[in-house]
Amino acid sequence: MNLSAWLSAEILGLGFLLTFALLFYIFYYWKHRASYQKELEELRRIDAFTRLRKTIGQAIENGRGLQISIGSGGLNGIRGAAGLVSLSMLLVITQKSCKGDQSPQVTSGDGALASLAQDTLHKAYRLAAVESNSKASQNQVTGITPFSYAAGAMLTILDQPLQANLLAGNFGSEAGLLAEAGERSSQLVIAGSDGLPAQSVMLATADDALIGEELFAGGAYLSAEPSHAASVKAQDILRWIIILIILAGVILKLAGAL
Amino acid sequence: MRRRPFSVFLLVIAIASGLVVLLGYWINLPALATLRDLFVRWAAILAGMAVLVGILNLLYVHWLKVSQPKPGGAYSLALLIAFVLTFLVAIVDTPTGSWSLWIFRYVQLPVEASLLALLAITLLVAVFRMLHRRFDWFSLVFIGTAILILVGSTYLPEVNMPVLQSLRTWLLQVPTVAGARGILLGIGIGVVATGVRILTGSDRPYEG
Repeated sequence: MNLSAWLSAEILGLGFLLTFALLFYIFYYWKHRASYQKELEELRRIDAFTRLRKTIGQAIENGRGLQISIGSGGLNGIRGAAGLVSLSMLLVITQKSCKGDQSPQVTSGDGALASLAQDTLHKAYRLAAVESNSKASQNQVTGITPFSYAAGAMLTILDQPLQANLLAGNFGSEAGLLAEAGERSSQLVIAGSDGLPAQSVMLATADDALIGEELFAGGAYLSAEPSHAASVKAQDILRWIIILIILAGVILKLAGAL
Repeated sequence: MRRRPFSVFLLVIAIASGLVVLLGYWINLPALATLRDLFVRWAAILAGMAVLVGILNLLYVHWLKVSQPKPGGAYSLALLIAFVLTFLVAIVDTPTGSWSLWIFRYVQLPVEASLLALLAITLLVAVFRMLHRRFDWFSLVFIGTAILILVGSTYLPEVNMPVLQSLRTWLLQVPTVAGARGILLGIGIGVVATGVRILTGSDRPYEG
């Protein structure tokens, strides 16, 4: 049987998934024996997350809030992953900043994502042992189409003095409008998305842009859960495996085996 | 942190449902496929309900802004009036009726198109800001490529620039495709990683 016919998309997909799951659990259990701080130091440096960690502290000192835009991708389909990562980041940021005067302001463009964000805010307050002072306007759906979401979120960003504006989730090119609003009100803008058009727009408009899969490493760099560090390590190894497979494919193609 | 029994129960249901849907794509069993389709339909219904929840949240927040006068309250009032009018028209005329389509064609589309036009200006300003903020080789290559693509795509009467157009085609077909595929592979790995973490319950940002 021909090699390319045997390696169907389903077989490759299953192999990919199982390899990741195996690597993830190896690192997850191995990690429990090591210091988590050491794990974090071993990760390569991403400037955007270093600045974000500093900004959370500055926001508390200055008594200013943070604006977190978690996008309009929803939870259905492939775009849901970016939304779930933004919730992990929201949990850590709220836990760290809820002891300050101002709570983070969350905007989203999808009802399901907004409901989970509300639940995430409650969890963050509970874990930080702080009584929730959240208002209805703390977690808003500002529009249900990408541009109406951006238009509504721009008002929220310009409405109050904020320390920083974090865009994390599924965005399209409308992310440029949100970043511009943050820039106009002199906020630090850190932005990451799973969409290619949004990433190119963010590179030009944000102070720090998360390129490629950097958004998906957000949990690990903000020290959310030990599982995040294991996941980042497994992702790195899987990337090398894919590079080797691509190179092998090129060689086999040149040799006429494929 | 110890999990409460009810939350463990919810976690088990979530993981089991996720596994059924996932395995339904690989294992060719009619019962599994039926169950998978049923779960996917339920998810679609829940997503529809979530849109309603989102709209109610939007209306409530803007109602609060109108009832407690604040700067920008007029915009909130405009939103509430527009919502009520659109809702009534869609109820009376049906969402595909001529009046509903008129609102879509002559109000929503122009507003969103003007936001897109605003984005073009915003990006132009952002490019100059980028040079001010990060003046390095990376920024120069980014801006130079953007200018080359724009000029190569523009039709200027009486001016023929075959070299520029070939360069644009090469840029779009070789480095852009290679870079985009690399980024997409990375995003794909990130999506799988997030999926595995959520499916196995090792990452659970929300309470549930």
